[in-house]
Amino acid sequence: MSPRPSYFKVFLTFARNSLVRDMTFRANFVIDTLASISWMAMNLGFYALIFEYTPSIGADTGWGKYEFFLFLATGLLVNSIVQTLFMTNADEFSELIRTGSLDFALLKPIDTQFLVSLQRIEWSSLGNLVFGLVLLGYALAKVEYVPGLVQVVLYPIYVACGVAILYALMIAMAASSVWLGRNQTLYDFWFYITNFSRYPREIYRGRFGDPLRWFFTFIIPVLVVINVPARLLVRSLHPQTPEDWLLPLFTLLAAAASLWASRWVFNRSLVSYRSASS
Amino acid sequence: MRNRLTTWGTILRISIEERLVYRGDFALGTLMRFLPIVTQIFLWGAVFAALGAAKGAPSRIAGYSCNDFIAYYLLTMISRAFSSMPGLASGIARDIRSGTVKKYLIQPIDMLGFLLLYRIAHKLVYYVVAAVPFALVFFLCRGFFHGWPDAATLLAFLASLILSFLLGFFLEATIGMVGFWFLEVSSLLFVYMLFNFFFSGHMFPIDMLPGVWGTLVKLIPLQYLAYFPAAVFLGKVSGADLVWGLAIQLGWVVLFVIASRVTFHVGVRRYSGFGG
Amino acid sequence: MAVIEIEGLSKSYRVYHKKEGLTASLKGLFRREYRLVEAVRSIDLTVEEGEFVAFLGPNGAGKTTTLKLLSGVITPTGGTARVLGRIPWKRENAYRRRFALVMGQKNQLWWDLPAAESFRLHQQIYRIEPTRFERTRDELTAMLGVRGLLGQPVRELSLGERMKMELIAALLHSPEVLFLDEPTIGLDVVAQYNVQSFLRHYQESRRITILLTSHYMKDVAALCRRVVVIALGRIIYDGSLAGIVDRFGGHKVISLEMTDGQVPDDLACYGEVIAVEPPRVKLRVQRGVVPEVLGRILAAHAVEDVSVEDPPLEQVIAEMFSSTQEQRAV
Repeated sequence: MSPRPSYFKVFLTFARNSLVRDMTFRANFVIDTLASISWMAMNLGFYALIFEYTPSIGADTGWGKYEFFLFLATGLLVNSIVQTLFMTNADEFSELIRTGSLDFALLKPIDTQFLVSLQRIEWSSLGNLVFGLVLLGYALAKVEYVPGLVQVVLYPIYVACGVAILYALMIAMAASSVWLGRNQTLYDFWFYITNFSRYPREIYRGRFGDPLRWFFTFIIPVLVVINVPARLLVRSLHPQTPEDWLLPLFTLLAAAASLWASRWVFNRSLVSYRSASS
Repeated sequence: MRNRLTTWGTILRISIEERLVYRGDFALGTLMRFLPIVTQIFLWGAVFAALGAAKGAPSRIAGYSCNDFIAYYLLTMISRAFSSMPGLASGIARDIRSGTVKKYLIQPIDMLGFLLLYRIAHKLVYYVVAAVPFALVFFLCRGFFHGWPDAATLLAFLASLILSFLLGFFLEATIGMVGFWFLEVSSLLFVYMLFNFFFSGHMFPIDMLPGVWGTLVKLIPLQYLAYFPAAVFLGKVSGADLVWGLAIQLGWVVLFVIASRVTFHVGVRRYSGFGG
Repeated sequence: MAVIEIEGLSKSYRVYHKKEGLTASLKGLFRREYRLVEAVRSIDLTVEEGEFVAFLGPNGAGKTTTLKLLSGVITPTGGTARVLGRIPWKRENAYRRRFALVMGQKNQLWWDLPAAESFRLHQQIYRIEPTRFERTRDELTAMLGVRGLLGQPVRELSLGERMKMELIAALLHSPEVLFLDEPTIGLDVVAQYNVQSFLRHYQESRRITILLTSHYMKDVAALCRRVVVIALGRIIYDGSLAGIVDRFGGHKVISLEMTDGQVPDDLACYGEVIAVEPPRVKLRVQRGVVPEVLGRILAAHAVEDVSVEDPPLEQVIAEMFSSTQEQRAV
């Protein structure tokens, strides 16, 4: 009998099954896609409104209107990938591990974290990805600075790092339901924490801002998720401050460390798993 | 009368117990709601910093200074604590879909009245429980305010809050009643939430909206759910405008009270026609 | 080496108290009371290859917990177990591909999709070679008679059909060990019968090892030669079904047919009178005293016909369970 399953093929089957399922609820699919796109459009409108009144966000930060749109587009890319691949799965995992219904996942001869994290793909969130790509193209056309080849190559790598960090955070939180019970608070917590990541780091300044910025960069690294890849497109690569080369290096390290930490939390949560009584 | 009071008391007690069961939730939940304010403080600080750097640029946006913006957001937290009705419309739609709405029809309990009482009880519990975190946050942020407004403004503020509670309730209840005609109310609800978020003043003071948008937004009732009470407190609406504003807010409340009752009765008749 | 070897296996849980009242809820914020539930207490068991063993026991006895321990779903608090030479709760992939667990009224198939799609997913996960997979699938669907239902979404199937699909899913990778937790629960009589005959045929032809838990006597009687009775987390019996009556049947039933068509009134002094239908009467008598009682009756009365029977199996088992429940309540 052959050994390991082909993880790639299994993932394709997950994707296929999810698509078939989504297509049987076609109306919902269309509504969900439209809903998330309109939500994004509203946010975009909000920022467009702000830029009616000011030339940039933060003095001397380089985040003018179209640069900021690049930032938003990067945010869309990272978040839509996380939503498509992981969000529903993390939610369901939290519910399964809390109610003791994870049994069947534990029986399969395949890495449990892989199974739990990828079994449901939300195709309707891809709408946001498309929206993000369109916004990216539009803003790139309008912005003054043209990113070089190195930056274009590095960009998807850092988007992937951002996705990895958010995924790690998400799955660790979901796994913690096994100890904390139904935690709506944790779910809200996730929302509030990632809220910080949606703005340029530069806005966190001052007596409270600096420590906040430091904390959310180096302790819970949400601020590098969107900031680092977006910065790549907006400025030239030549480092002007120590941060300019420190952050990209740190991001790679943070992505690896987050993934490792999340796997540790995941495995510990399985040890504490209590199956529901029949 | 005494029966009513005991029912009230029981509902209150059970609601409190329910909220206390999940201790993690209880401890942190209320404080958490203020976290987005933190990012807003920094965001608007940065926006105004850019403005301040450019010489000759105004230091106010749509009449709001940087501090005003933060004060505004904090105040909308209060008005939304009054006007937000989580689960009301979807709960009504679900009751209709699953048939549990029947219990309201065969018992001498008025559905809207019951739901209203239940909401009041829940809100009261929430206010008692949230009073301390709210007071703490406002105390820490007192620097963003210009001090207390005069008694008349305060009274108007309170009045607008109570009206925004009623408006929020009956508006969402009416939406829920749509469940008598369409099984899936969730998409309609989502659109409502979207518009609510953007046009009620939750996201930004609607004074910021230019031209046509600004006029349009003043015509719809959503502004009274978040923007209006905050604007009253900050003195952005005063004098004759204030009286007018309160009157129109009251008018909207009356409209939706009628709308919800009418849709309920018509819906019930249609519903019973299907039997089962 | 035996397929299943269990030694001193134990599992206990903490169950948290929730008290009534407002002050109690507030206290719950800071400190929680709990009690210890011992679901499984040091059980020892050996199962050889090809055996079909039934776990019998009242609710909460520890049957399902034992199966879950052997499947690696939960980890024990004490003792050891080896299935196919592996420790289950290590959850090694090499072990997981050799066994299957089916739980009655619990679905692992994708709800909105046809069973065929879930089977394909299984094939990918278990890395079953395509021709083998198709052959196995066709065999199993034919045996259970659900061929035409493969294309229908699982949620549209009846409970019995869904159960059959679950069984197929479990057997697609040809496991050497099968754990069945109440597989026929909630099914109608026909479906139960179908599942039972399928299991019997499958086991006889493949000689795999099966552990089955059930409430239904019919399942057990139809399928298993060996019965393990669990109560309060302990094994109290391990042997044949008939042997249960010998061990636990405290009574026997004496049926008498009186010669003169009339039933005497004083029979109650010999034992409990269960039924009176002149000229027949049934008496319930303690096992040990049957010969003596019989002797006295025959001496005192004119008896046309007599027979001594065991009480119904269900009754014995029910009595056995209720006595253990009483122990627990104490």
